[in-house]
Amino acid sequence: MTVNSSPDFAAAPRKAGKALAISPIARILYLTSLWVPLIGLALFFLYPLVLIVQRSFVQRDGMIGIANYVDVLSMRHIPGVIWNSLVMSGLTTLICVVLGFMIAYFLQRTHARLRWVISVALLLPLLAPSLVQALGLIFLFGRNGLISQATGWNLQIYGLWGLVISNSMYALPQAVMIIQASLRQSDTRQYDAAMMLGATPWQRFVDITLPNARFGLLSAAFVCFTVTITDFGNAAVIGGNYRVLATEIYAQVVGQMNFNMGAVIGILLLIPTLMAFYIEKVAAQRHTSGATEGAMPVAPDRQPLRDISLGLFSYGAALFLIAVVVTVVYASFVTLWPYRLDLTLRNYNITAQGGYAPLWTSLIVSTQAAVIGTLLLFMLVVSQRRLGRGMAKAVYLLAIVPVGVPGLVLGLAYILSFNVAGALPGLLYGTTLLIALCNFYHYHSQGFLTMVTGIRAVPPQLEETVTCIGGNSLHGLRDAILPVMLPTLVAVFFFLFMRSMVTLSAVIFLITPQLSVGAVSVLRLDQAGFATQAAAFSVCIMAVVMIALGMMKATLTFLERKPRN
Amino acid sequence: MQLKIRNLEKYYGQFQALSDVDLDVGDDEFVCLLGPSGCGKTTLLRIIAGLEPFNSGTLELAGKDLSTVSAQHRGFGIVFQSYSLFQHMTVAENIGYGLRIRKTAAAEKAAKVQKLMALVHLQAFAERYPYQLSGGQQQRVAIARALAVDPALLLLDEPLSALDARVRNDLRLEIRDVQRRLRIPTIMVTHDQEEALVMADKIVCMNAGRIEQIGSPKEIYSHPRTKFVADFVGISNFLTPAMAARVVPQLNSQAPDAQHLLALRPEDIAVRMTETAQARVTETSFLGNVTRLTLDLGDTTLLADSHHSEGLKIGDAVTVSVPPDAGVWVRA
Repeated sequence: MTVNSSPDFAAAPRKAGKALAISPIARILYLTSLWVPLIGLALFFLYPLVLIVQRSFVQRDGMIGIANYVDVLSMRHIPGVIWNSLVMSGLTTLICVVLGFMIAYFLQRTHARLRWVISVALLLPLLAPSLVQALGLIFLFGRNGLISQATGWNLQIYGLWGLVISNSMYALPQAVMIIQASLRQSDTRQYDAAMMLGATPWQRFVDITLPNARFGLLSAAFVCFTVTITDFGNAAVIGGNYRVLATEIYAQVVGQMNFNMGAVIGILLLIPTLMAFYIEKVAAQRHTSGATEGAMPVAPDRQPLRDISLGLFSYGAALFLIAVVVTVVYASFVTLWPYRLDLTLRNYNITAQGGYAPLWTSLIVSTQAAVIGTLLLFMLVVSQRRLGRGMAKAVYLLAIVPVGVPGLVLGLAYILSFNVAGALPGLLYGTTLLIALCNFYHYHSQGFLTMVTGIRAVPPQLEETVTCIGGNSLHGLRDAILPVMLPTLVAVFFFLFMRSMVTLSAVIFLITPQLSVGAVSVLRLDQAGFATQAAAFSVCIMAVVMIALGMMKATLTFLERKPRN
Repeated sequence: MQLKIRNLEKYYGQFQALSDVDLDVGDDEFVCLLGPSGCGKTTLLRIIAGLEPFNSGTLELAGKDLSTVSAQHRGFGIVFQSYSLFQHMTVAENIGYGLRIRKTAAAEKAAKVQKLMALVHLQAFAERYPYQLSGGQQQRVAIARALAVDPALLLLDEPLSALDARVRNDLRLEIRDVQRRLRIPTIMVTHDQEEALVMADKIVCMNAGRIEQIGSPKEIYSHPRTKFVADFVGISNFLTPAMAARVVPQLNSQAPDAQHLLALRPEDIAVRMTETAQARVTETSFLGNVTRLTLDLGDTTLLADSHHSEGLKIGDAVTVSVPPDAGVWVRA
């Protein structure tokens, strides 16, 4: 413990706002844990983002201006591509919000049986690269699809509808999670009060359930819209001739090396996200759920007609989600889809596209992202607690901005910033570390928010108690913060790991001929015509992610069982 | 219009939440269900409201069996501790909700809402939303909302517990005033004995799923029948018959049997400083109007109130005395 060398703390009137006495070591520790994460954000998030904005305004003649925007918008096919993207994401959002509300209501407010079927189904899209849904749909309904062949129908799955269905499957779990959380907050006494006033079940639904869920529905809609308008994987696999902004940006940058045009489309992709951010903020200010401290959750009840119809949709959607993934797994073991269905392991003998090397790269990248990310986020939230109100809020805002930047835009920003010859940033290009950092900052906000929730559970008095007993900052960290935070750290670690294993949209720009990752391999194999090998590769990725998930659950169970003092 | 409950029982699985409850609530009567948490008072209120089923017994209103009428159709008003207002509706819309459900004509509805807002002093807040109101104001809206449909019975579930002491005092009187003016039979659940004493015509004192005693506030306070009531409402000293004979021999009454205890209020015990010590002062606490003394009598301790003028201190030797008619014999 530091010895306060000035004994006059009672006598001499202090200058207002003078900092508390603190040991030099504690000060260095605090400054490091504050500034390292912030410098990281500046270098690997803000700098690339500023660069992409700047590049979008650099014209071919080297001058600054809006010529790139004019060029892009006057390209003949671009208005059509923008329209396509809006239609596709609009439809997907509508389906996800309606279906998501039904499933969330079914899970939260009825005596649904076999809920685990729905839970498992909703977990699947989070475990696999985003193009697996499209892959599965093609195995079922494509030109050589199992169902197309069996029935002789020509389902035209390539294009708008295939894209809408696969993106709906991809975004649905997130919609259900958000809406379910908003349904969970309601207080049963509101329903009791309405019932005592004579309201029928339908009137209670319209007057209480829907208004209370408004904010959740809005959030879910924005998440679905932004996630699908920027998604690359499904669009590349099943989009066919239906061109959307995500595939267009890829074509401009990777196909034609037209970085400025790519930057312009990237900025365009930011617009819906910015709008969503703004509207959600306004809505959040107006929103109060009416739930108080002692809110009693609404107990599920029985209404046969409602329960049966909700059940049909919920189980239907769940079974469809499961069927598509199972199809992918099945196809990975089949000799010649769909003509010779005898089982084989040959698809797992992958030699094209670098064989299994990208899978190992993915493992390394994901581990790096998880270790670096967990450490930096932990440092950030611990030091943020000591900041003044204004500064803390500024850090908070900076830390959640990355959620608004689509992976595709971040990836493009990285290639603009780090694919430069000779300069210092160029040293990172082509390393697993850069891909790991890109993944970490892509999912920075979600990790940060989890950490913030975790550290709120640490009572500030506990830390102060440690200090008063005579412990230093490290003691406080070890005895007050870590024991409470450990489950959060585990959750964040595995969250970053699993997301890094499956993400495609950001890393697609960062791979080099020497260095590729698993999710990209799936895409490349599929595009090269090795669909069953692509399936086999995605099964491997899913297996790794499932093992990680199992490890997380096991660790958390272990931590919960351990008696804490 | 009379609520009549006979032999009502309620089980949660094996646990008996209410046993053998008999209760009558008359026209324009204000009844308080009083008891510690977990005594079953809220369960009883929710059963009367129709929000919980019960296992056996009868529940009737004006001779009509209520067990087949759902909460939605009972036409009672209810107010919760948590206000439970509709957050997306204005004050006026909240109050008019029950009338809207009943498809009351617009003009009639507006007039009624106006009248109720005046009754609870909220005319200026008609277009506000609940989150723009204080706790006390929100609770007034909830009360007006419950009254709008002319309820046959008004049910209040700890309506004041979430409020500050000051607001709570004001609203106590206001609720009582409104209830007297509208003459609506009312049942209120509370764990606050002072609140029950101030507001109720009739207190139903409950413990562990049973009714211990029903009576007016005065009866409950001055003639408790059980040790629980004497202890829960106000503060009592308890003496066995043998101790009573020794400590307060001047008492007129006799113990009915050996199972009874003498309940003595601290204000009934007079304390004098004497040479020959019957007891010794071991603690004093200043309560404002009186000083409460803890007396050590060797085999027992007593609480007694004394005036500051007597100036008793810790360690003083004292003798106690009571008026001949003091105390009540209660079942242990």
